[in-house]
Amino acid sequence: MDHTLKQPGERPDTSMEITRRVFIHKSLLAGAAAGAASAGWLPWMNTLDLAFGAEAFKFAWISDSHLYPKTVNTRFVDKVTRAVKDLQTMSPPADFLIYGGDLAQLGDPVELELGADILKEITIKKVFIPGEHDWYLDMGARWQQLFGKPTWTFDHKGVRFIGLDTVSRGPDYWTAKRMTPKERMGHMATLDGSVAGAWAGVGRDQLEWLARTLSDWPKNKPVVIFSHNPLYEYYPPWNFWVRDWREVHEVLRPYTNVTNIHGHTHQVLYNEIGKVRSIGMLATSWTWPYAPEGVPALTRCKVRVDPGDPFDGVGWSKLTMSAAEKIENEYVMWRKDILGEAPWDSGCADNNNQILSPRIADREWPYYGAYK
Amino acid sequence: MKRQYHYGRTVLGASLLGLLVGVVYGNPALAHKAKHTPEQLKAFEQVFMEQVKVGDLLFHGDEATQKRLGVTLSNTGMACAMCHPFASDTHPYTFPKFQEQVNKFSTLRDMINWCIEKPAEGERIEDDSDAMKALEAYIYWSTRGSRLEPGRH
Repeated sequence: MDHTLKQPGERPDTSMEITRRVFIHKSLLAGAAAGAASAGWLPWMNTLDLAFGAEAFKFAWISDSHLYPKTVNTRFVDKVTRAVKDLQTMSPPADFLIYGGDLAQLGDPVELELGADILKEITIKKVFIPGEHDWYLDMGARWQQLFGKPTWTFDHKGVRFIGLDTVSRGPDYWTAKRMTPKERMGHMATLDGSVAGAWAGVGRDQLEWLARTLSDWPKNKPVVIFSHNPLYEYYPPWNFWVRDWREVHEVLRPYTNVTNIHGHTHQVLYNEIGKVRSIGMLATSWTWPYAPEGVPALTRCKVRVDPGDPFDGVGWSKLTMSAAEKIENEYVMWRKDILGEAPWDSGCADNNNQILSPRIADREWPYYGAYK
Repeated sequence: MKRQYHYGRTVLGASLLGLLVGVVYGNPALAHKAKHTPEQLKAFEQVFMEQVKVGDLLFHGDEATQKRLGVTLSNTGMACAMCHPFASDTHPYTFPKFQEQVNKFSTLRDMINWCIEKPAEGERIEDDSDAMKALEAYIYWSTRGSRLEPGRH
């Protein structure tokens, strides 16, 4: 797909600058994996600077908090609360916050309302896209009451921002089986489950909306697309992928300065397809291991995480447009190390000897394999 | 006299053969010497896969299975699979090894119990319990084909 979309000599916008730089911000080691092998850049670079030719500003990303009611578990509450407090100390403040989905764990109104309550502390503009955990108990009813439409766009200081809903168009696997809403949600929330099929997608109507939304936007002006799931094919067995991601890239093809910022994977990820950059964000709840195959080659893997430390391997992101009109993506992780410096500290190093099989319990479902 | 001798030898041979057959088929300790029938192999696999399925359910936090086996693997709403999809990053083929979190030379069972007690805040299970055997079966099955490397960090 990258080969198809990227014509000879092409790569993401030439105004983008990538520097090899590890910068210490307070006590945090921060950085986004970046690079492009075709242009001679090195894939282990740490920060991503994008020259947008726009006015300087900052925005922030928080996602994947997976809140349970406080009676079940307060550890996830503690972490998103800490992210909110961190964000409040930003100076100068961020222009807006994007919450990137999976605020709730099981779509329970109690969980969604708890999340809304925690995020209420943030006084700057907030925009939201849904995650699958927010949606499948009541098919997004409570989420939309609290946070509005799942698809939207706005222009800010020379950048067009677009929020895509990649979660609500899953195949109907529940009606034939007469599942209760809880059962439907349970399958959707099982991250390595297969009953729900390949549920992540954008859908024809949203693709057409995206094309219309971009039709009046100059081809060389910056576009930032927020999506819960990554807009490329990364390990389908774990439902990371958006099944119509190719069509999304076809719509984006004429635009030279596109950045996709996504959640869902709970990992540091960096990818380039054609002229589109994709950056994966950290979760506040818990970290996910890298898949045994298909991790984008340009990713610099995050450090192996201590499972006994709930604050390790998780966090949020600051995206800063500097005075030099460049955006820096800064992973704000609450533990010092974010990127593995040696193979034995890298979250990808274990993939070399890891052969995995999909779970067996799903195979007894009478419709197993019907929703691919 | 000669006929009696032949008769005695036949009886002795038959007795020895009977004894051999009896030992092979009747003594469980030597039963593995027998060739497996396809039916036996199927039965062995079935027993294993039944345990894998139980382990899969436990690993994914199935409440009914936990109740049936009398275990509480988590008190936080977390399930093993939330950090280990397809049992990834469990690396059963690297045990036994020094495990930093447990701070001792550990078996996979030690690590399973550490995960139950610490991240999941559940209740420790017995090493020889049905739940432990099922969890082990699922983890080993899910990562089969990986290279055995005991002691690898």
